[in-house]
Amino acid sequence: MPKIAIRFDDVSKRYRLHRGWHGSLRSAATAWLRRLGSRPGPEDVFWALKNVSFDIEKGDAVGLIGTNGAGKSTILKILSRVTTPSSGRFSTRGRVGALIEVGAGFHPELTGRDNVFLNGAIMGMSRSEVAEKFDRIVGFAEIEKFIDTPIKYYSSGMQVRLGFAVAAHIDPDVLLIDEVLAVGDASFQAKCLNKLAELKEQARTIVLVSHNLANIVEHSKKVLWVQAGTVAAYGDPDTVVDQYLKSIRERLTSENPADVVSRAMTDAERPIRIEQVTLCDRQGRVRPEFQHGEPVCIDIAYSVHEPVPDPVFEVTIQDAHGHALGGLTTRFDGLKIDSTQSQGIVRLILQPVLFLKGHYTVNVHIRDHQIQRYHDFRKRAAVLVVEGPSVASREVSGHVNYPHQWELP
Amino acid sequence: MREHLRELWHHRELTLSFARRDIKARYRQTALGAVWAVVQPFSLMVVFTLVFSRFAKVSSDGIPYPIFSYTSLIFWTFFATAVSQGTVAMVANATLVRKIYFPRETLLIAVILSAALDLVIATTIFGGMLVYYRTALTLTALWIPVLLALQTVFALGVICLSSALHVNYRDIGHGLPLLLQLWLFATPVAYPLSLVPAALLPFYLLNPMVPIIEGYRRAILLGLPPDPAQLLLATLIVLVVTSAGYVLFKRAEQTFADVI
Repeated sequence: MPKIAIRFDDVSKRYRLHRGWHGSLRSAATAWLRRLGSRPGPEDVFWALKNVSFDIEKGDAVGLIGTNGAGKSTILKILSRVTTPSSGRFSTRGRVGALIEVGAGFHPELTGRDNVFLNGAIMGMSRSEVAEKFDRIVGFAEIEKFIDTPIKYYSSGMQVRLGFAVAAHIDPDVLLIDEVLAVGDASFQAKCLNKLAELKEQARTIVLVSHNLANIVEHSKKVLWVQAGTVAAYGDPDTVVDQYLKSIRERLTSENPADVVSRAMTDAERPIRIEQVTLCDRQGRVRPEFQHGEPVCIDIAYSVHEPVPDPVFEVTIQDAHGHALGGLTTRFDGLKIDSTQSQGIVRLILQPVLFLKGHYTVNVHIRDHQIQRYHDFRKRAAVLVVEGPSVASREVSGHVNYPHQWELP
Repeated sequence: MREHLRELWHHRELTLSFARRDIKARYRQTALGAVWAVVQPFSLMVVFTLVFSRFAKVSSDGIPYPIFSYTSLIFWTFFATAVSQGTVAMVANATLVRKIYFPRETLLIAVILSAALDLVIATTIFGGMLVYYRTALTLTALWIPVLLALQTVFALGVICLSSALHVNYRDIGHGLPLLLQLWLFATPVAYPLSLVPAALLPFYLLNPMVPIIEGYRRAILLGLPPDPAQLLLATLIVLVVTSAGYVLFKRAEQTFADVI
């Protein structure tokens, strides 16, 4: 029978919505007077979590995923006891350490040494424990030379490294990690990931929050997906991440592209307009999905209302989280577009598509000949769905699989 | 309650770390450093001596006015510093309160400890003044630790209430300097208790700082114990205020992170 390290039992968290004011006696008095007449309406509260239940077994690493505002941070805050649930119960077994905001307890006027002891105490270490680990902490942060300098003179990178170094040495039974693997330069990140692997080997219970799904899949034994304050799925990382991505894709495709066209541009400002953007194969068949390695045609149908000199068509592609993955222009490839015709089609062929399994948004812009002003633009003009090698397998990572081969020369 | 106190005891090292931080950071990058701990009560003593003793001819129970007022001022300053810094302690540590859990009263106790260090520094000059005015301490000086304990517990109760309120209502931060000033004059710091009209006494004595401050002077300068009835009343009020303050603070603490 595995031991339960964390249990959430029907936990809900309600926040009161503060409308623009910060607490003052006057507003409290008026709110109280108003409440004499009627109970607070449902619009005055916001449920960050609603009836959330789950168990985490001792020694498990659990990834927490969900869009912004889904309730991930609230779960972490309840786990770290920074806030209490409005209803329901939760329990944790053993010492809980939170790598939530490294260095939150630093005092700028104090030296690195003083701050290590202070931060260690805040994180629940005894003074003798910090003293014993002091050299390792300072070595991990790589700031031996500056340890007796007030940290207000540290670079932000040094502060973050020192904060992480203290936190990484707490040795808690349950460790909460929120987006902190993104700190420091590449070599420091590698160090952090090794530390994480070490903690996993020691069978510590870990709760990991990250927007980087590859990190989540790599480091978690199970994944908990929260959506709108409820548990949407909990289980095997590959399966849950897959479901999560599918839901994001559905949300993207269900949005009517016409709604997303910027209303900031009036018709008069758009002498040449994007009418329709479709994704099709080499035979011109519109397809919902493409295989990795297959050619993809992006057809941009446009209409001309007023001829402009040498318009430039631009296509940019983003991942599900809006990170830019690449952009191409007709000018780069020397294609001239004749805007004396009243309409036409510009086709961009990705041959082949190199993206990994996932869904990618395609943005289309028409710009002036200097690529400075926009004649028209359409965000999320289309969604490109790619089947093929997946980051969930851990055999590939990132977004792109380059044409390549391995050799043993 | 017992659970809270057990947890507080468990976090005693953290309390000391916060106190150490407050003390170390306070006088960093100042030329005078810890001398500031003496400057405040000492300059107030000079001003009070001029205004109350020279100009207004306020009586001081036959004691030289400078030492009369300095005795009360160092202990009053301890109280006022603890209250003014304790009240804003939660908001001043908002990043910590939002991110990391620890019993929040550790911050309040740390404020009191660091204010206590200022008191210790301020008493060094006090020793010199006792010699200068040829005042010999008697056995009644043993009342000092008792009064000090009572005052400390009271200060803790007050800041439990005021800091929890300040998290929710920033008005407290604006009103506090005024309140402390009024409180100073509602306490026999610049004048002796004997000047208070008898008709006002029943209300006046509801302020626990009255017998405490008067008590220091009696114990140190006059060789008299504090008035037992007054001290008993003050003790009762302090116990009620502090235990209620602590319970309310621990209840409010649960939502500090949400509203701070």
